[in-house]
Amino acid sequence: MTRPPSPVARGRAAPSRRLSVVAALIAVAGLAWVLLREPLLVVAANRLVPGVPVTGAAVLGPALPAIFGGGAVAAGLLAASSGRRAGGVALALILAAGGLLAWGLGHGAALRMADQPPAARAGLGAGAWLAALWFATAFGLATRRVRRPGLGPGVACGLLVTLVLAGRAGAFDALSLAIEYAARRETVHAALWEHLALAGGGLGLAIPAAVALTAWRRGQDLVAIVLGGVQVIPAVALLGALVALTGGLLRLAPALRELGLSALGPAPAMVGIAAYLLLPFWRGLTAALRAPDRDSLDAARGLGLTETQILLRLRLPLGAPQLVGALRVAAVQALGLATLGALVGAGGLGRIVLDGMAQFAPDLILLGAIPIVALSLTVEGALSTLEDRMRARDPA
Amino acid sequence: MSGRPLVSVAATGLVLAAMSHPAVATRIAGALGEAPRRALDVDRLLALAGQHLVLAGTGFALVAILGIGLGILATREGAAPLRPALDALAAGAQAVPPVVTVALALPILGFGGPPTLLALVAYGVMPLLRGTAGALAAVPPDAKAAAEAMGLTRRQILARVELPLAAPEVVESLRTALVLAVATAAVGALAGANTLGTPIVAGLQNQNIVPMLQGTTATAALAFLGDAALVGLAGLFRINPPRT
Repeated sequence: MTRPPSPVARGRAAPSRRLSVVAALIAVAGLAWVLLREPLLVVAANRLVPGVPVTGAAVLGPALPAIFGGGAVAAGLLAASSGRRAGGVALALILAAGGLLAWGLGHGAALRMADQPPAARAGLGAGAWLAALWFATAFGLATRRVRRPGLGPGVACGLLVTLVLAGRAGAFDALSLAIEYAARRETVHAALWEHLALAGGGLGLAIPAAVALTAWRRGQDLVAIVLGGVQVIPAVALLGALVALTGGLLRLAPALRELGLSALGPAPAMVGIAAYLLLPFWRGLTAALRAPDRDSLDAARGLGLTETQILLRLRLPLGAPQLVGALRVAAVQALGLATLGALVGAGGLGRIVLDGMAQFAPDLILLGAIPIVALSLTVEGALSTLEDRMRARDPA
Repeated sequence: MSGRPLVSVAATGLVLAAMSHPAVATRIAGALGEAPRRALDVDRLLALAGQHLVLAGTGFALVAILGIGLGILATREGAAPLRPALDALAAGAQAVPPVVTVALALPILGFGGPPTLLALVAYGVMPLLRGTAGALAAVPPDAKAAAEAMGLTRRQILARVELPLAAPEVVESLRTALVLAVATAAVGALAGANTLGTPIVAGLQNQNIVPMLQGTTATAALAFLGDAALVGLAGLFRINPPRT
C-alpha cells in the first residue's frame, strides 16, 4: 500500500480522481435533497395510522445548516485528498454532524410531541434513515482513509455507547421507536436471548455434524451432492417439512415428548438452521485440511509426526483462517435464519418482526429488525477482522 | 461429469413435485400419523406455482441484469477505487435477511408482491455482483494482454475473452441467485404475496399438515427444477461447472 506509485499508476490516477470528485458532488447533492425534501419525521395520531411527513427545516431548525455543512466539507475533503490527516479531519466532522443530527431528531420530535395527546407518535421518516445511511457510509470511508487498524470498530463502539447513554438520559424519548421499546423492553430482551440461543444451537449442532461428515473420507462425493441439495431447499419449506417430521416422530415415540421435544418450538428451528450451516462448515474444514502444501506434509512425516500430530500442529493452525471464514459465513447465516424460527413457534427476534407485520406497525417491525441487523453486522465485522489478522500473520 | 448433477437435480425436483400432488401429500401426512384433512386441489396449487414463478422470475431477471451489469462496471479500469466500497456494501446487504427486508419494505410498499420483489432484488444483487466481479478479476492478465496485442478493442476483449473465461463462475453465482429468488418468493407469503409459501404459512398457523407439505414440496420442487434448467441452459452454451 505504501509503495510509491508507478508511472502507469500515476497516469491512471487522473480519471479516478475525477470520478471521486463527481461521486462527492453527487453525495453532497443527495445529502441536501434528503435533509431538505425527504421527511425526517412522520407525526401520526397513533402508532397504526399513517402520519404527516415533516421535513428537515422544520425538525432541525438552525442545526440543519451545521449538519449539512459538516457533511459537505467532509465529503469534499475525502474527494480532494487521499491523505491521512484529511481523513482524520473528515472523520471528526462526520462524527460531529452525525451526532448533531441524532440530537436534532430527538429534540425535534420532543418539540412536536409536547402539545400532543399521549397516543400521538413521532416516527423516523425515510429521510432520517437515508441521512443515517449517508453518514454511516461517509464514516466507513473516512476510517478507511485514516488507515489505523481497529479505529473503525473502536470509534463505532464508542458511538454506540454514546447513543445508548444519550438514550438513557432521555434524548430520544419522544421518538416512537423509543416509546415502543419502553413498552416492550422485557419482550425484546427475552427475544434477543432466544434469538442468540437459536443461532447458537444451530451452530452447536452443525459443527460436530460437519466434522463427522468431513471425517467420512469415502463418502465425500455424496456429501457434496446432499449438502448442495439442502441449500436449494427454501428455508420456509425446510422448516415446514421439519415440523411435519417431528410431529410424526413424536407419534412414533411419545416418550420423546417428556424430554421436552415438541413439533413446534426451538427443536425443529435449530435443526433447520443447522442443516444450512453444514455446507459452509464442511467446505471450510475441507479447505483447512488441504491448507499445508505437499512439501510441508512430507517434511512433517519425515520428522516422524503421526497423522494426529500433523492434524493438530500443521493442518489446523495453517487452516485456521479458512475455519474462521467458514464460522463467519455460518454465523451470519444462522442469525438470519433464526428470524424464520418465529414461524414454527421458536420465538426470537423474528417474532417481534412477524407481530409487527401482522399489526402493520412499522415501529414494531423495526424493533425486531434493528437488533437482527446489528447482530449480523457485528458478527460479520468481528470475525472478518479476525480472519484478516490470521491471513496477515501467516500468508497462505 | 456435467451430466450427472443435472440429472439428479432434475429428478429430485420431479419427485418433490409429485409429492406435492394432493393424493400423495395426504398419504404422506397419513403415514406421519396426521388425521387426513382437506388438501389443496391441483388447480389451486398450479395457480400458486404460477404466481410464485412470475414473482421469482421477475426478481431473478432484475437481479441478473443488475448484478452482472454492475459486476462488469465494477471491474472496468476506472472503477478500481470503488471495489472496497462495493465489497463492504455487499457484506452489509447480506446482513439483512430476506424476511427482514420484506418486513421493512412492508410499511413503504404495502402488502403483496412489491415488498417481496424489493427484498428479492436487494438480497440477490450483491452476491451476484460480487461473484461476477470476482470471476472477471480472476481472468488471467496474460489472456487480456494477448488479446490487446492482437488489436482487440476493450469491448471485444470483454465479449470474447473476459466473459467466456468468467462464465462458469458467473453461472455458479446465478444458480445461488435463482435459489435465493425462489426462497424469498416463498417468504413473501408473510407479506401477503400469493405464492407457494402461502399454504406453508397458513398450514403452520392452523396446524394443518397437508397443505403445508404440499407448499413445502412444491417450493422445493420449483427450486430444484429451476436450478436444473439453469445448469442445462449453461450446458447448451458449453459452460461447464468450475472444478472445485
